[in-house]
Amino acid sequence: MIRNVIIMTLHDLAIACQNKTLFLILFIPVFVFVALQLVDENEAVDPNIRIGLLEQGSYPPAMLTTLEAANATIVVTWQSNEAAAMQWLKEGHGDGVLIPHGTAAQHCALIVLEKTSLKTVTIVESINALQRALDGKSNYWIAEIHPVQESGLQRQMLPTWILMLVLMVGFIILPAQVAEEKEKRLLLGLLQTPIRETEWLLAKVSYGIILVVLAATLLHLLTAFDFSIARGLNYLAFLIAGGFCFSALGVCVGFLCRTQASARTLGVLFYLPLLLPSALADFSKPLHSVAPWVPSYQFYQPVKSILLQGGGVADFPLDILALLGAGIIALFLSYQLMRHRWLM
Amino acid sequence: MVCPVTLQVQGISKAYTSQRRLLAIDFSVREGELIAVVGHNGAGKSTLLKLLGGWLVPDGGEVQIDGIDQRNRRAIVRKVGFVPEVPNLFECFSVEYNLSLFARLFRAPSSSVETALREFSLLPYRRSKVRVLSKGLKQRVSIARSLLANPSLVLLDEPTSGLDFDMTTEVHELLKRIHASGKTILFTSHRPEEIKSLATRIMVLHQGALIFDGPPSEYFESDTHRNLYT
Repeated sequence: MIRNVIIMTLHDLAIACQNKTLFLILFIPVFVFVALQLVDENEAVDPNIRIGLLEQGSYPPAMLTTLEAANATIVVTWQSNEAAAMQWLKEGHGDGVLIPHGTAAQHCALIVLEKTSLKTVTIVESINALQRALDGKSNYWIAEIHPVQESGLQRQMLPTWILMLVLMVGFIILPAQVAEEKEKRLLLGLLQTPIRETEWLLAKVSYGIILVVLAATLLHLLTAFDFSIARGLNYLAFLIAGGFCFSALGVCVGFLCRTQASARTLGVLFYLPLLLPSALADFSKPLHSVAPWVPSYQFYQPVKSILLQGGGVADFPLDILALLGAGIIALFLSYQLMRHRWLM
Repeated sequence: MVCPVTLQVQGISKAYTSQRRLLAIDFSVREGELIAVVGHNGAGKSTLLKLLGGWLVPDGGEVQIDGIDQRNRRAIVRKVGFVPEVPNLFECFSVEYNLSLFARLFRAPSSSVETALREFSLLPYRRSKVRVLSKGLKQRVSIARSLLANPSLVLLDEPTSGLDFDMTTEVHELLKRIHASGKTILFTSHRPEEIKSLATRIMVLHQGALIFDGPPSEYFESDTHRNLYT
């Protein structure tokens, strides 16, 4: 069985080389890489600094006086508690939050969205300059810097690009390929050999997973994304689970169509509704409430957590089960359609 | 000496619509026969061959090939070679690749590909992509591929459709050679001269029903032939 699955997977990859699918898959990471570079180049820094302070926090009195005196460049907003301050920061209303650090009311921890951004450097330099002007010391009030997310816009956009890649393989490439094999009677020809229906299906899904992993690997190599081994394995597990689920769904969509043209149309009809709610869930309340009901969210949310917040498979056991379950159901439906030579 | 039965068909039927259907038909085919299935367009000839080749799932009836039930697909595919009217080859790959892929799936030795290339005079085209081949050459590749597993029964759906005189003659020679090697052949055709020169038995389908089954001499003298082609 494994032998036939390998033969057919290699055959599918050879077709991908012939019909330029592989170039498409490799082009997208390059396109994303260039797009991300342009995003970074266009990052503008607002000269005004918006700092949040906690109403109940005990800050160095000299720091409070100095910050108030520098109200031309530093705008201070008081927050009721730490959670409210974090929300305020994440929603983009502020540039950083100062939280008392230790018990002596001498130091603060600076919470920022991104540690290595120009904005963070500006905040730290401005506050250090104020302190130097006051008592000749620097690097004293700010004892630590904590980023909310590990990195900036580049990394924040990565999960969306990865979701786009996985859905593209699942709903654009695979349905058209399956429908083509049906339309040109190539699948019927293959079923004239001792290959099992399940072997053909597994080969198609393996092909989808290989395309997904290949494209994601290239994208991460181009963006120099550093992984620990454990984190990489967690990420790979979700890539494989997502690749399996959406490839299986794509094969099923291909079986529902008689021609390549109808498969492309139906594929796009699945592609956009699966992409947009998940990718835009963080920016819209209605989409945020809809997204958890969309299968792509079970892939997007864990990948986002693994890439940006250090999450792992253990944090999303139901999501990975949902992906595998949906994939198995789709494969079962495809198997039944194949056995009955549906629209062949 | 009576040859053993290769193909046994009992009540096989398939309905697309009330107008277009293959009624339940029964027949058996003995080893070494070369049968022409004839009839008007839509009579059910291709449907019959597709049912026997496993391309279609019958609504009812039973088919046995060399004593093996057709529902046992993985066993039956080694017994039947099916050549469709339009060759279903992987056009973006070479002739050799197309044959090798099927040989691997049949677990046939790699030498079988060389043999097929040689026997069907395809050696000069082994590295040519199928898409650049003429229809006649594609048909030759398709026939060669169907014989890779050395099946006892070969089904050909209008093997000379759309071919010029030379290519048609070439396919006829191929069919005679395959028949001479002891294989049983069923082919569909619209050409009386082709049927006359090749067939050892003729089956006529009309509106999904089998209306004639007998030797060519009897067929060409019968009203069935006169009604069909006049």
